[in-house]
Amino acid sequence: MEPVEPQTESELPVQEGQSDQLAASAPASTERPERRKQPRTWETPPSPVPPPRLDDYQGIIGAADIEELRFLARELKGKTLKMVNSTAVGGGVAEILNQLVPLMNELEVGTHWEVITGGNDFFEVTKAFHNALQGSDYKLTQKTRDIFLMYNEQNRQRMQFTEDVVVIHDPQPAALIRARSDSPGRWVWRCHIDLSNPNAEVWGFLRPFVEQYDAAIFSSPSFARQLAIPQYLFYPCIDPLSEKNKDLEDSFVQRVCDEFGIDRSRPIVTQVSRFDRAKDPVGVVQAFKQARKYVDCQLVLAGGGASDDPEGAAVLKEVKEAAGEDPDIIILDLPPWCALEINALQRASTLIVQKSIREGFGLTVTEALWKAKPTIAGAVGGIPTQVIHKQTGVLVHSVDGCAYQMRYLLTHPDFAKQLGENGRAHVKENFLMTTNVQRWLLLIRILLTGGGN
Amino acid sequence: MTSAAATTLAPPAVKPFYFNTSAHLLRITRQKSSTLAEFLNALRECPEGSIFQHTFRTLQEHHFIREGFSNDFAHWALSACNEPGLAEGLATVDVREFTSVEQLRERFVQIVEAFVQRSPAAATRIARETFYFCASDSVVIPTSFVAHNLREFAEGLRGVSVHSVHHHFIEARLRIKLMSNDFSQWLHEDMGLTETARQLNRIDIYTRTLEGVREQIVRVVERALA
Repeated sequence: MEPVEPQTESELPVQEGQSDQLAASAPASTERPERRKQPRTWETPPSPVPPPRLDDYQGIIGAADIEELRFLARELKGKTLKMVNSTAVGGGVAEILNQLVPLMNELEVGTHWEVITGGNDFFEVTKAFHNALQGSDYKLTQKTRDIFLMYNEQNRQRMQFTEDVVVIHDPQPAALIRARSDSPGRWVWRCHIDLSNPNAEVWGFLRPFVEQYDAAIFSSPSFARQLAIPQYLFYPCIDPLSEKNKDLEDSFVQRVCDEFGIDRSRPIVTQVSRFDRAKDPVGVVQAFKQARKYVDCQLVLAGGGASDDPEGAAVLKEVKEAAGEDPDIIILDLPPWCALEINALQRASTLIVQKSIREGFGLTVTEALWKAKPTIAGAVGGIPTQVIHKQTGVLVHSVDGCAYQMRYLLTHPDFAKQLGENGRAHVKENFLMTTNVQRWLLLIRILLTGGGN
Repeated sequence: MTSAAATTLAPPAVKPFYFNTSAHLLRITRQKSSTLAEFLNALRECPEGSIFQHTFRTLQEHHFIREGFSNDFAHWALSACNEPGLAEGLATVDVREFTSVEQLRERFVQIVEAFVQRSPAAATRIARETFYFCASDSVVIPTSFVAHNLREFAEGLRGVSVHSVHHHFIEARLRIKLMSNDFSQWLHEDMGLTETARQLNRIDIYTRTLEGVREQIVRVVERALA
């Protein structure tokens, strides 16, 4: 077999005379469609849709994979599972549990989801812990320890833990492990945050609780700590049937593009993410402006966070300044309930960019890959797990590198198409909700029977 | 899938072939490396499940890629250590030449050891990314496909997931401790089709996707049916 190729951008193949050809095709029409300032879709959140059933996924992952899930579940029939987290709505954990819990129950692994309660003082402390565990400065005091432990104790007394497996999500309810002595089950701590560089005081306080669990789960090996308990890897996942990822009629995609003044007859480069410096939206504008010297295209920056976050508003202002009066740069500050519109924008795109300079796992990359879009992404956080350079997308480290890859992929559609197809296959194999269901079934089996085959 | 009509049209096997598949849960181990020297130590110390995960399993996880992704060790040596020579050596280790994980580990250790001796400065250079050793906990899962003859075998091959193909065709040698695979063993021992078994064993898994491997297996079996 061939060894893996070198990866530096300077070594990518460039066709002879390519720059001249691109320069010749660069001039764009000066006539642009008029753009709406406030699309009507922004005004009210839609009604929630019922969660999908297992058979709904059959057309996506195939009958054989569904049958594997049913087999694993049959062996666990009658076993029970409790999920505990700190919020029922909003945030990634609640979103995952809203989809996972009905599927587990459909598979007859009785799964209960409970949410801890607490006062504002508790959630202020846990928010500070959350940031401190991801590296922020923080001074732990006796008072904050007491607040954390008091609310955990209140919840311990209020809740019952009779299930075969109890899963505690994130640090907020971690001290519920004190109920373990009265519980027959196995206990698992599911950590959704990056613990690679935690505040030593806060981690020193939480670690003794964590090490009383039977196992811990992390989203990336790099997010984990050295612990005395087994640690498992559950990648974050997307639901292919959610509004953000399901297939859409092309007429809807067209309508959204018309609404936002996007011309589908010309290449569209899109970045979907909050207006946050970690996502480097200004860098994306700069890369686009470099690339457009050689190849005609439009840039869509679709995100949120500017209306309820002062820093987000400041970043949005910087992006608008960087964009200037350029009619080919379309900036959309969307509310969280515009999942269908985001889906349509991704599907309309020729390329998707996620030029992050800091990142968690990067689920917007997963969404782009799932839609078989050639993707250019910053080589940070969990992105290299998803974007295997020149196999499932391309990784970049700079504005110049990003600009070059925009030009290259827009002028090499066959290579771009292959990247997109590989990216979708990679997500199908590793980052879908159904894979997550399989991981939970395997973990329960291993915890309750002591191992695999 | 068994039917009276089918069994009368094709000679029956001595024993039926039961198609299984396997599912894997990833464990994060204690080993990690930021330099090639650390990598060499970790390679020697990591659990067998880690060697299996980063070689056999990575082929399965990336089954849709046709070239350039044969094992995680080679990928890291290139993308994080920028050592194309070492990467080439690691990438060309063919898992089919090994019937035990310990033999496979020893081969990787030899390659990295030799490189580190030749290039001591490279051994302590900090890699762009840390390599985290993971390991697989595996569970074997039966499927609904059973073959009593060659026709049913071809149907099963077409119907199972690619994970089942990986389980029987690639992982199997660790289980049966032979330079072969479950399909070839059954064709040889229970169907008396030694030449077909031999042809299957010659299919190159490194130059095709796993779906492509499946198609090639089906073609060989269909030729035997014709």
